[in-house]
Amino acid sequence: MFSISGIFITTFVSGLVAFLLHHSVPKIRDWFSIVIMGVIVYAVWELPVKANLLSFKLANYNLVFGNTEYGRLFALIVAVLGFFAILYSKDFMEGKPRLGYFYMAFFFSIGGMFGIVYSQDLISLFFFWEIMTWSSFLLVIYCCKEAQKIGLKYFVFSAIGAYSIMTAMVVLYSSIGSLQFADVFAGFGKMDFWSQLLVVVLLLMGFGVKSATMPLHVWAPGAYRITPSSFTAIFSGALSKMGIFGIGLTLFKIASATGFYPWVQEILAWIGALTALFATFYAVFATDAKTLLAYSSIGQLGYIVTGLAIGTPLSIAAALFLTVMHAIFKGMLFLATGAVYYRTGTTDMTKVSGLIRKMPYTFLTALFGIITVSGVPPLAGFSGKWMLYESLIQSNHYFLVVVIFFSSTAAFLYLYRYIFSLFLGQEEKETENVKEVPWLMRIPMLLLALATLVFGVAPGLLLHPVSAAMKYLGDFGVTYQTSVLFNEWGNKVDMLTVANTIGVVFIIVTIIITIKGYRSTRYVTTKDIHTSGEVPTENENLTYAVDFYKPFERALGSVLKASVDKIYNATGRILEQSFDYLRYVYTGNGQTYAMYVVLFLTILVVFSELIFGIKL
Amino acid sequence: MNLTPVQFVAIPLFAAFLIPIVAKISKEAVKYIPGIVFLYLAYVAFTLFPKALEKPIVEIIAGFKPPFGIVLYFGPTAAFLVSMVMVVGFVIWLYSFKFIIREPSEKYYMLFMMLITGATGIMLTGDVFNLFVFFEITAIAAYSLTAFLRDKDGAEAAFKYLLIGSFSSTFFLLAIALIYSNTHTLNMADLAVKMQNVDVTTKLFILILFISGLGIESELFPLNGWAPDAYSQAPTPVAAVFAGIVVKASLYALLRLVFLMFNWSEVFYLLLVLGVITMLVGEMSAMRQHQIKRMLAFSSIGQMGLIVIAFSIATVPSLQAGFFQMVNHVLIKSLLFFSAGYLVFHSGSKDISALDGLGKEKPITSFFFAFGALAILGLPPFSGFWGKMFILMAAGNSHLLLVVVLILISGIIEAVYYLRVISRLYFYKETTKEVRRTPVSGLVAMGILTVLIIILGLYPNTILAYLKPAANDLLHRTEYINAVLGQIHL
Amino acid sequence: MIFYVTSILVILIGIYAVLVKKNLIKIVIGLSIVDSGVNLLLISIGYVKHGTAPIFSRPDLTAAQMVDPVPQALVLTAIVIGLGVTAVALALVIRLYDHHKTMDINKIRKLKW
Repeated sequence: MFSISGIFITTFVSGLVAFLLHHSVPKIRDWFSIVIMGVIVYAVWELPVKANLLSFKLANYNLVFGNTEYGRLFALIVAVLGFFAILYSKDFMEGKPRLGYFYMAFFFSIGGMFGIVYSQDLISLFFFWEIMTWSSFLLVIYCCKEAQKIGLKYFVFSAIGAYSIMTAMVVLYSSIGSLQFADVFAGFGKMDFWSQLLVVVLLLMGFGVKSATMPLHVWAPGAYRITPSSFTAIFSGALSKMGIFGIGLTLFKIASATGFYPWVQEILAWIGALTALFATFYAVFATDAKTLLAYSSIGQLGYIVTGLAIGTPLSIAAALFLTVMHAIFKGMLFLATGAVYYRTGTTDMTKVSGLIRKMPYTFLTALFGIITVSGVPPLAGFSGKWMLYESLIQSNHYFLVVVIFFSSTAAFLYLYRYIFSLFLGQEEKETENVKEVPWLMRIPMLLLALATLVFGVAPGLLLHPVSAAMKYLGDFGVTYQTSVLFNEWGNKVDMLTVANTIGVVFIIVTIIITIKGYRSTRYVTTKDIHTSGEVPTENENLTYAVDFYKPFERALGSVLKASVDKIYNATGRILEQSFDYLRYVYTGNGQTYAMYVVLFLTILVVFSELIFGIKL
Repeated sequence: MNLTPVQFVAIPLFAAFLIPIVAKISKEAVKYIPGIVFLYLAYVAFTLFPKALEKPIVEIIAGFKPPFGIVLYFGPTAAFLVSMVMVVGFVIWLYSFKFIIREPSEKYYMLFMMLITGATGIMLTGDVFNLFVFFEITAIAAYSLTAFLRDKDGAEAAFKYLLIGSFSSTFFLLAIALIYSNTHTLNMADLAVKMQNVDVTTKLFILILFISGLGIESELFPLNGWAPDAYSQAPTPVAAVFAGIVVKASLYALLRLVFLMFNWSEVFYLLLVLGVITMLVGEMSAMRQHQIKRMLAFSSIGQMGLIVIAFSIATVPSLQAGFFQMVNHVLIKSLLFFSAGYLVFHSGSKDISALDGLGKEKPITSFFFAFGALAILGLPPFSGFWGKMFILMAAGNSHLLLVVVLILISGIIEAVYYLRVISRLYFYKETTKEVRRTPVSGLVAMGILTVLIIILGLYPNTILAYLKPAANDLLHRTEYINAVLGQIHL
Repeated sequence: MIFYVTSILVILIGIYAVLVKKNLIKIVIGLSIVDSGVNLLLISIGYVKHGTAPIFSRPDLTAAQMVDPVPQALVLTAIVIGLGVTAVALALVIRLYDHHKTMDINKIRKLKW
């Protein structure tokens, strides 16, 4: 059961079975998927760690699959988040069209991700990478007509990324003669400098597309917004991590033996930091909750990229820690946003507000989510951010610290906006009848929220698998213990006592405030807030969420207008237009075609010396 | 009955003449003849295949020994191509079973059988003039089939095809005249030996004539003006025949001649450049097409460019990749044409914009189209993935990184226009009219192709073992020469 | 030599007609002229000055005195094929005229781009 092929077969076959079930017995489709996903989580957990679990020869290439600690970390992210998402999907997706299609694509993308993290050669990595790409593409275009353009953009960027990886593979194969990891890791050092540089840049570009690193991020906001929220949790939480997985692999396994390594890392670190900075700005001005979270996601991934790129033990530990954290909190936030959508039918922050009374559990999830994102103790985001700052300072990247700290602080702006617009403020008339979401949707959200608390109190629980994964990436010796935060307490057990105190105090205070506040709250009407002598009319929009950060927007608007997205769109349009002119070669006149033939012959004859080296 | 390669030519020819006679008796019976022919010949092909792998089968026609008489050479390459033609021919027949409407079916099947005669003849013959004859048989059948629907556009397309096709045959015949005047032989193996003594200028001129002549039918840019019109106006199964059989046969003829007589690196370089240009122009022109079949036609041109690239790299892995991509293209493009045929038929318009919402009206056919589109983009786990991968790896091994990049760019262009069609099929209109059915024979035909695509995608080894001998057979002419002429040198 | 020059000239005249003439019938005629030119070329390849038919009609006849029979066989085939193509072409021209009511190739270009 717990063989690697078992996991693959179960995942992919379940996708097909779910599709067929939808068309035969739709009643058991959801529970079937949930049970299967549960089994898969268990299987992934139990799968023994061994570099070569399955290998066979396909089309002259040796395909090898194995479970490494590094892969296992990512596989667990995928499996657990997948399980939560599918649990959530049962109610969330109910009544939507094309559910067979949804579940099939869902399972396929999960299976694709397993393939990526378990593969021990580039061919199978690419194979599953592409499966993941097209199945997630199917989910991006799942909803409606307006998703089609976004989907196409996603696919084109994914294709650019995938083909960069492919080109790198071609270069590697032509100089090493094998694409197995073992051979690639060993043979890379023997390649000449330019091939090495080319391979590294191409791989980073390819993986960077999936991790939405600027300037290749433009597909992300739209794609994250338009996918059904239950999948967006996976999309942002797990799928984007495949890019991180690849970047880690490129930097520390493939390119580990090369000389140009430091400055590539330096550039990458800056790209990550700038990604974080700009994404934060864009997030601040987003009016759609999911777009906001998408930009936030891009920004957070920027931190992770920076962490990986710095390449000190502590920074890698921070990056991997943040990777897991990001999966958890972005999963939570997207699920919470999905819950809002489930009840109100929109994720537009200017239209929904004051849901705190109606949806307390969702609010709690969202609150935990934003606390984790902003890195405030006692939740788990804190440890990750701390380690990242510390590693940057330790390795003398002071400017980077400034940039990252700035964007991290600016993140408060959008996080506050998120929670304020959706949950606080005045209640809207339209949302009067809104209720809390069903339990099956609440459970995954709350469990994830609990996870942030647990990992916050005892980060050691998570740092153990992280440092195990780092052992695979390279011999970094001591890792997180080097942090100021941790060397006093060693590992998780001692951390507990200290963190417990903070945690308990926090919880008690929260409860007291909640109970006290709940009693003394009073229903606020529109007039309460806004009447300064004037009585607003019914239809006057007094919600704060509109033009929330107008002053900032006025200050930064002109900078943000010049987005790369526009450049890409213009390039695309120009290219398409020129292709359109090109097809005028086919004039429709038979004689013209005949003329081409004669001309072709004449050219070959006249330029024979040029073409064949023989004068006619 | 003794199984010999000559049956591949003789039986379809016989069937072609049998069909009008049988039609006098029973119109229904005619429909089954091609199916039986294909099944039988597929059986023959698969039986002879292992023998051809051991030692190429050389069959002498009418007792004249080579180089004087005509020989049929059934080596691994021919065996592979003929098997492919038979399988695809069978599927196309299955699809045509219910598709041919209005026109009498015996005419269609007669022309179809003639075309198969010509195509297999091209693949088998060892005589260059015989090659020309088969070439013309194929071409005339193809012109007629293009205009088969008797409509306005069909006639226009067929006339253009004929106009360009005549140039093709003229060049071919001129080349033969030059060859004969210089070597006094027409046997291809003998030619390969004797051409070495011909002075370089003449040889070059012959080569140019061959490239221009056969390049027309192989859809090389700028010689492919006929292709988009013919593909889009011919009846749907015929478009699949063009993509799957006619073009592949003439490309094979070109390659065989080049590998036998003009084994210069410059030739392959020229072909490589032509392949790249063809691929790019094909894909770029397909981008903004308004008609679905015309789009598929341009996509076909692009794919042919890719295949030419693979062959012109001229190493064993690249030839292998080229053959694999040939199979891919035959299977996938047939699937796309088949499904597009019914989509066009039911939407009542050839325009892509008329396809909105057909995914609900014709779920299975639309699914096949979407499947084919994903497959031709080279996404795993479909067979297109391996074809592209092999070609890229082969190009990489020959240090043609620019070609690799261009292939991948054209892949992105391809993705854009195919995915747009899928979007239209499924997501542009949510209302459902009643579900309309596609005839069972059509669905079975598409189902077979789908299964083959999946099998090749998941387990490409199925045919890879046969491709290596085929590649060797095409690449190394000595074996060919020995197999044909060895008998008289005894 | 004169044979070669003449036949090439005929071919060029044919190609000129195909490329320049706008009338469909004239184009088909052009194609036929090209065909004839090629046939002429083929025949002239096998020509032997003062040669006779390649039949052993007299016992003293040697192979050197005969014209080469192979090109003649080829030309026969080529003529038949040319005829077939011309027939198809004319049939298509008739149909084109039926549909378009014109013989001008410039006006028959609905399929383009």
